[in-house]
Amino acid sequence: MQKIRRVIFIFLLFSIYFGNAQNWRSHSSSILSKKRFEVGIFQPFRYGYSETLEYSTYPLWFFVMPNLTLKKSHENFSGYNMATKWSLFYPRPLLNMVSKKGIGGFIDPTIKIPPMLGFSFSLILTRPMLGMDMSFKTGIDIGLASDELDHRVNIELPLLYHRLSVFHNNYGFHTGFDIEKSITEKLSTLVDLDFSILPGMDIKDTDSGITKLLGEYSFEHKALLIYEKSETFRFLTGYKFVFGEYPFGSESRVLPFLPLVDSWIPMIELQWGRSLK
Amino acid sequence: MSIIHTIFPLLIIMFNIGCEPFAKSYSSTSNPKMYEADEYVSPTSNQDQVKVVTWNIRFGAGRLPWFIDSCGEKALANYDSVEIIMQKIADTLNVMEADIVLLQEVDIESKRSGFMDQVQFLLNNTNLNYGAYASMMEVDFVFSDGLGRINTGNAILSKFELTEAKRIKLRLRTDQSTLVQYGYARRNILKAKIPELSQGTKDFYVVNIHATAFATDDTKKQHINKYLETLSDIQNNNDYFVTGGDLNSVPPGSVTDFCENDKCDGEECDGDYENNEAYQGSYFEHFEGEPDILVPLYNSYESAIDLADANLPSHYSHAPSTSFKRNNIKYDRKLSYLFTNKTWVNGTSRTHQSAWEISDHMPVSSMVMLGNR
Repeated sequence: MQKIRRVIFIFLLFSIYFGNAQNWRSHSSSILSKKRFEVGIFQPFRYGYSETLEYSTYPLWFFVMPNLTLKKSHENFSGYNMATKWSLFYPRPLLNMVSKKGIGGFIDPTIKIPPMLGFSFSLILTRPMLGMDMSFKTGIDIGLASDELDHRVNIELPLLYHRLSVFHNNYGFHTGFDIEKSITEKLSTLVDLDFSILPGMDIKDTDSGITKLLGEYSFEHKALLIYEKSETFRFLTGYKFVFGEYPFGSESRVLPFLPLVDSWIPMIELQWGRSLK
Repeated sequence: MSIIHTIFPLLIIMFNIGCEPFAKSYSSTSNPKMYEADEYVSPTSNQDQVKVVTWNIRFGAGRLPWFIDSCGEKALANYDSVEIIMQKIADTLNVMEADIVLLQEVDIESKRSGFMDQVQFLLNNTNLNYGAYASMMEVDFVFSDGLGRINTGNAILSKFELTEAKRIKLRLRTDQSTLVQYGYARRNILKAKIPELSQGTKDFYVVNIHATAFATDDTKKQHINKYLETLSDIQNNNDYFVTGGDLNSVPPGSVTDFCENDKCDGEECDGDYENNEAYQGSYFEHFEGEPDILVPLYNSYESAIDLADANLPSHYSHAPSTSFKRNNIKYDRKLSYLFTNKTWVNGTSRTHQSAWEISDHMPVSSMVMLGNR
């Protein structure tokens, strides 16, 4: 049982690292066509409920971090395709799973983790520009805890820290853009930059202005090379770069990073999709 | 083309700053991190006699039942309590009127102590002006028990400017798996020069060490040998030094088995010194000659606490933090030492046992005589 939990957690960790890497236009305002579904090794299961509404969830995550995302397309706005994305997740079971003694313990098990609910809203605008598909997004993240949340309940690692910190700060903002360009018929690239802020978090008395506003911020950037073998299978590889402000100062990381050999390995992802009849 | 010329160097920079190892390793000698107090305080003491203190401050956790060393459950201290204890440590150093302080187990950005830079805190809250810090363990994230990020090590604080500071690498333990060893303590000797205390043509050095605590192989012997080598280099150059630290060794003639005092619930002291974890850090005869490991130091240099007095209860400087709760023991052995190749001023050497609640180690202090200045 212990081993199974460990495997699940490692898988989930990879999902966070690779998650939203890219599947078929999940970053853009596009909605999956009705009855089409997609899933990747580290990706959520997505399902086109109607021509304007898409559901998605991380199936394996569901048991340790119940989550659901709805994406809805809207009427065009100034030449941009527009969509909104609404996500809800409950991270407590997952955090309790990694709050343990011994190897794999990310959180001190003597600290109580209260029930918490995370909510995220994004507005996505997409349009073709200069031979590329460009998407802009912006939104708000809200984190609520039912009881006092000990400030030590966090994981000071890239990608994880700023997502969990929303529950300490209660709110945060995110914005960013994605650029996708076809190189050949089957080969394309994707580059994105995301910026998130937790206003007022962990600031000093002497801080003011922009420093106070940004609080603990993070930049995430990724670049991917995508080979679309067929309509049902594609292969992705690339890197992710994270720069952020943490309680100990700022830090940069290229992910995934294999610490024991001090070397970088490319992220690789396989994805499948098909339409139900 | 110009885009490639812009993007390529950016990528090189990004990979360089983003691809650092999770646990830092060191070359045989490296540069420590240097500090200065936010406000300089002029030394007012008599510079012919300088007060030296050594203290393992246990990262400001006081007597917390920590999971590594005291049968505890907790990996992280309460951050408010760390601030209170660090202030008590600063106050104690001020009361002692310390001129030079050798610290062990000082955190500068560890989750367990609220990411406080304890070197900077002590400089800003004492009359000490300069600091040098050498990390013993610098790991971005320890994936165990919720310990998280850790950066802990040795520090020298001084009223006088420190120069030519060096971190001297000590051998790693050989009784651990590669994975554990990767994220484990990388102990060191921290050495610095104080030009203001030079004696004519002779330089004056401060040397701080924290030797291995839990090794069951001969790592401790290697650490003490390297320490002796470092001190003899100074001695052979006809220079002066004060030195000390947490040697994790008992004085010659001491009891060597503290297992019954230190053991946790469910542990047994069964005589299996090599394999039974209850003997790690509580038994001082893991290799031949360990009980006499400090004899060369006592023979070669002047000890603040004479060998004849070293095993007196009034000079005990340590007991694991849970010993008081479990066995009503505040201190039961001496692990912290001060030596010099100059002279200690008679009657000034103390083991400050009244500070027993502030750390699981008590400070040892003495006044070194710097005549003929």
